Amino acid sequence: MPSCKDITEHGSDYLDRHMPWWKRPGYWMHLLVCVHCRRYIEQLRLTIETIGRSPDAAPPVVKTEEVQQIVQQLKQSAKKPANKPRDI
Amino acid sequence: MANPPLPSDDELIPRLLASDENAYTQVVAAYHGLMVHLARAIVGDAIADEVAQEAWVAVLRALPKFERRSSLKTWILRIVSNTAKSRLRHESRTVNLGDALEETPIVDPSRFKANAHWANPPAMWHADTPDALLASTELRRCIHEALDALPPLQRAAVTLRDMQGLNMEDICKVLEVSESNGRVLLHRARSRIQQAIEELEEK
Repeated sequence: MPSCKDITEHGSDYLDRHMPWWKRPGYWMHLLVCVHCRRYIEQLRLTIETIGRSPDAAPPVVKTEEVQQIVQQLKQSAKKPANKPRDI
Repeated sequence: MANPPLPSDDELIPRLLASDENAYTQVVAAYHGLMVHLARAIVGDAIADEVAQEAWVAVLRALPKFERRSSLKTWILRIVSNTAKSRLRHESRTVNLGDALEETPIVDPSRFKANAHWANPPAMWHADTPDALLASTELRRCIHEALDALPPLQRAAVTLRDMQGLNMEDICKVLEVSESNGRVLLHRARSRIQQAIEELEEK
């Protein structure tokens, strides 16, 4: 079974369901018996949800005039002969 | 600004290649905010707009060579990420982009006993929902400052995953990191913010 330290190292993998299948039973068993790690994981889950709802989470609002300004720049740029594009 | 639904990539890309002004308007309206958001995460507020505008020109120039191995959105965000990283390297040669491979533990080792079990376990928090946490001005400021203090790639990972909702595969394409490094970046970012909340809750 993983230690408490192991639980903290892989908390996001557990919550995001990215944990390899063979690690899950031990992780889950540890959480079943360790109240401290259950609290740690619950607080990590709460942190993730809070980040997603914080004022920083909203992308900046783009005004119509700004969109038009960028579109005009792109039109100008499209008219210019292109430099050799980087291979993407 | 409420944007109409964006047409599919299959419909949009030929129109962008043909310099269709409506297509330009649709993609700029749909993606510019996300691009500035990502650029802010990597280079900070001051030059994020400039980086996003620079990225648009790069998008247009590179579009004929776009191989469609990802969605248009992921590919555009990858160009923003590369533009922002280049800018950051140009501004400061010594910048630490992400410390994905740093060996420091997620939680302070002094909080564990020799057998790696808790000596100083997490205490209960006063709030148990995001709304209750975010009701505190001090906590909102604390989260903002913790985000600001993250290395750029950690901040980018948490922005793309927990704020913009991208999946891990796309995040790794955008940031050009392996999947394991992407997960490490994300977990370190979240843990640092969790730690900042914990410190405030324990006051």
